Amino acid sequence: MQTDEMTNEDLEIQKLLKDYPMPAAEAGFYDQALARATHEGSKRQRNRWLATGFGAAIAAGLAIWMIGAIFLANPDIPAGDPSLPGITMALEEPHTVNLVFASARALDSATLTVSLPAGVELAGFPGQSEITWETSLTAGKNVLPLTLIALTPTGGELLARLEHENRDRTFRLQVTVT
Amino acid sequence: MSTAANSQTFERLVRPHFDRLYRLAWRLTGSKGEAEDLFQELLIKAFGKLDELVHIEEPGSWLSRVMYNLFIDEQRRFRRRRLHTVEEGQLPGEGLAGLPGPGGPDYDNQRLEQIRRLDAALAKLSDEHRIVVLLHDTEGYKMTEIQELTGVPVGTIKSRLHRARARLREILTADGTLS
Repeated sequence: MQTDEMTNEDLEIQKLLKDYPMPAAEAGFYDQALARATHEGSKRQRNRWLATGFGAAIAAGLAIWMIGAIFLANPDIPAGDPSLPGITMALEEPHTVNLVFASARALDSATLTVSLPAGVELAGFPGQSEITWETSLTAGKNVLPLTLIALTPTGGELLARLEHENRDRTFRLQVTVT
Repeated sequence: MSTAANSQTFERLVRPHFDRLYRLAWRLTGSKGEAEDLFQELLIKAFGKLDELVHIEEPGSWLSRVMYNLFIDEQRRFRRRRLHTVEEGQLPGEGLAGLPGPGGPDYDNQRLEQIRRLDAALAKLSDEHRIVVLLHDTEGYKMTEIQELTGVPVGTIKSRLHRARARLREILTADGTLS
């Protein structure tokens, strides 16, 4: 540990972090995980891609869904279209936006696609302007934290598109970089 | 080797490392559900590589690396699970309300508030910065251990650690947690 290079302020942060708790695993979790791995591991690996391929077919049996409003944490007044919700973020400073999706019903195998403005990246996905993944929504409010990093001061519109079966809904967010 | 023998061999190799692996999973993902999923995925993957695992000299380090790579490779899949209901109380810190404390209710309340603020501050860091600072300052990993785990050079790790602490200090000073 590089304690000789640390300032008193670093030590203060380190002390805080050292006491940062986390709950222990629930009783029986290890045994269950071990049992699943040994009894189903190989089989699950073989069937993984097969299951993915049939995801859409499984989703076909689910109820019709409806997505309500989108609410954004710390919404600031956007510089562009005033009708859009927006955020203002600093250049090269990670900024987490909480997208809240209200769904009337639980949904499996919905597809979420996030399209980023030029010069903005999603943390963990460097160099990608569009990221797509499957997701499940529970009935009620669902929160998706997205950590954005602006690499240029361009800013622009972020699109979050939710699709399920043949329905889709797109949300727009104005990103302003200062 | 029979299925039962395989299971016994596998358990003998991996069980001693469960606590450390679970902690790593938690620090990587930041939530119970995702940590359990990652832990489970690791065991399934490792069991599929039992022939390789039995020849590994340090299964703990090997398992940690596999877990980290699994986290990175499948980050998209785990990220999707960050969709969760607000009502379930899975936001950072909320699951800690029931932890017993040594200093009485006032102390517990203060401590819980401090933890929530730290949760919020950590959530503002990039994944790279958050993981490094949690592994080093919270879990006590050495720089070389983080390098071995992540494949990131020590110089970069130091830089990330420095930036992460500075950003945390900035956030926690602004919200009054630190003076």
